[in-house]
Amino acid sequence: MANRTIRVDYIARVEGESSLELHVRNGTVDAVQLSIFEPPRFFEALLRGRGFGEVLDIVARICGICPIAYQMSGVHAIEDALGITVDAPIRALRRLFYCGEWIQSHSLHIVMLHAPDFLGYPDAIAMARDHGEAVERALALKKTGNELIRLLGGREIHPINARIGGFYRVPSRAELAPVAEALKHARGQAIDTLRWAAGFPFPEFMRDYKFVALRHPDEYPMNEGRIVSSAGLDIAVADYETEFIERQVPHSTALHSVMKRQGAYLVGPMARYALNRDHLPVDIRALADEVGLEPVCRNPFRSILVRTLEVVYACDEALRLIAAYEPPARPFVSPEPHAGVGYACSEAPRGILYHRYNLDRDGTILDARLVPPTSQNQGVIEEDVREVANAALDLADDALQARCEQSIRNHDPCISCAAHFLKLQVHRT
Amino acid sequence: MNSGDPPSVLVIGIGNPDRGDDGVGPAVVGRLRNRVPTGVSVLERGGDALALLDNWEGFSTVILVDAVAPISEPGRVHRLDLAQNPLPLNFAPCSTHAFGLAETVELARSLRKLPSSLGAYLVEGEQFETGAQLSPAIGKAVDEVAERILAEIAALLEARRDHA
Repeated sequence: MANRTIRVDYIARVEGESSLELHVRNGTVDAVQLSIFEPPRFFEALLRGRGFGEVLDIVARICGICPIAYQMSGVHAIEDALGITVDAPIRALRRLFYCGEWIQSHSLHIVMLHAPDFLGYPDAIAMARDHGEAVERALALKKTGNELIRLLGGREIHPINARIGGFYRVPSRAELAPVAEALKHARGQAIDTLRWAAGFPFPEFMRDYKFVALRHPDEYPMNEGRIVSSAGLDIAVADYETEFIERQVPHSTALHSVMKRQGAYLVGPMARYALNRDHLPVDIRALADEVGLEPVCRNPFRSILVRTLEVVYACDEALRLIAAYEPPARPFVSPEPHAGVGYACSEAPRGILYHRYNLDRDGTILDARLVPPTSQNQGVIEEDVREVANAALDLADDALQARCEQSIRNHDPCISCAAHFLKLQVHRT
Repeated sequence: MNSGDPPSVLVIGIGNPDRGDDGVGPAVVGRLRNRVPTGVSVLERGGDALALLDNWEGFSTVILVDAVAPISEPGRVHRLDLAQNPLPLNFAPCSTHAFGLAETVELARSLRKLPSSLGAYLVEGEQFETGAQLSPAIGKAVDEVAERILAEIAALLEARRDHA
């Protein structure tokens, strides 16, 4: 029993294909490898030689769950390169678009992928027999998020309506009215989901994370802000590559990102909340207090509460944006191509998504750099698994394996985005 | 739907017409669109299978048409009763993204949101290349499935008339 190996050949309930291997020697975990075997997709190379106007349609194809994040980081980076500033209603519509993605992506993960771990079910299908109401709430929330995406993006998956300078078509106030009605219900459903999740049994576990998120002077971050960390980093997005590097690791097709001076770091809902709680409206903070969510949450198992709080916030924010919306005089600003480099970072549901594009004089992409949240979180996920496993080595292999998988799902990894999926192997020797 | 209304019928063709034989579902729906009797709805669906839960709400009889990976011979048609039985494992699609058809049907069963009659015509595909047309064998299966669905609907409506 001193030495053992646990292998999960295919990790379920995460987006993409990966495996996990855990080596336990003399009662201590001595190696953890999160191996992503989903083939790399070479999107950065695929973008080279394409026109800047094609970027949003190409990057939307990277992920079926968070295409808007890719489109928003892409649009902001290209506009940065071309010196375009959009009209205020376009800015508001982009934030509304992002709210739709947070609502649908988070709701799917919270109830359908993550909650079964806490309640002891193999999957959402089995859980639905006993927790039908919770599952139906999640489906309704997801539907409302999708509705918002369809209205602004033309369709739910891989939307096609965003363009450099704005949107091809903007909605009328009358078109937004029914979505606002749905969002009022969705807000209540999100609060019910938060209270439901707050009753889950959470393992006692804390990590001293280095949180990294965007920080905006006035808003809970989505589309823009400076990159800040809990360790005092505060940089412009354009300086991302001076502070962060991506490294190849032999066991994975995804690159691992680290901070040059501070190593592994965490992005996503826990980081956003820790660094931006003051930008949440008073009633949302009161809800956090009501369910016992501390101002800085360091227990990754409790990330499900942060994620759910963000769904409530996204419903609130979408309602606020719709109430204030006046259609813009023009749906887009016409871009004029010229040479330049543009940078952007936006807050995808899973954390910061960095894009850089280098444009030629005629607007052709010379090179592109895309750093998704999951490749930034891989180091932390491996560290989490190591510590979770070390604290739970008295468990039998199957229970240990379940706990390790749960700790991976705490971070809602999107392996498809990072491979740039999951099998767990524990070796006890 | 009021309990006095006649039960309604919906045919859903699932798939992507731009991915070779995956387009068999939409192709069958295209063939049925102007031929189904009044009161029968047809729908094409791609993408997120969870949306089916909303699509079939209020319909008592639903017929799905979808492509499946090759098992025996391309174009072979399998007719399954999903209201009574889960999709067998060898038909279960492998999807790492979101929810596939098998998961959606089982989720609906857990939530008691399955139509009282749920049939599925599953056609074995040959190739699923981006931008490709239907393979000849699958093209023939489109006619076969469309005719079988029309016959199934006719028999259902006749049985209802006799019952009434």
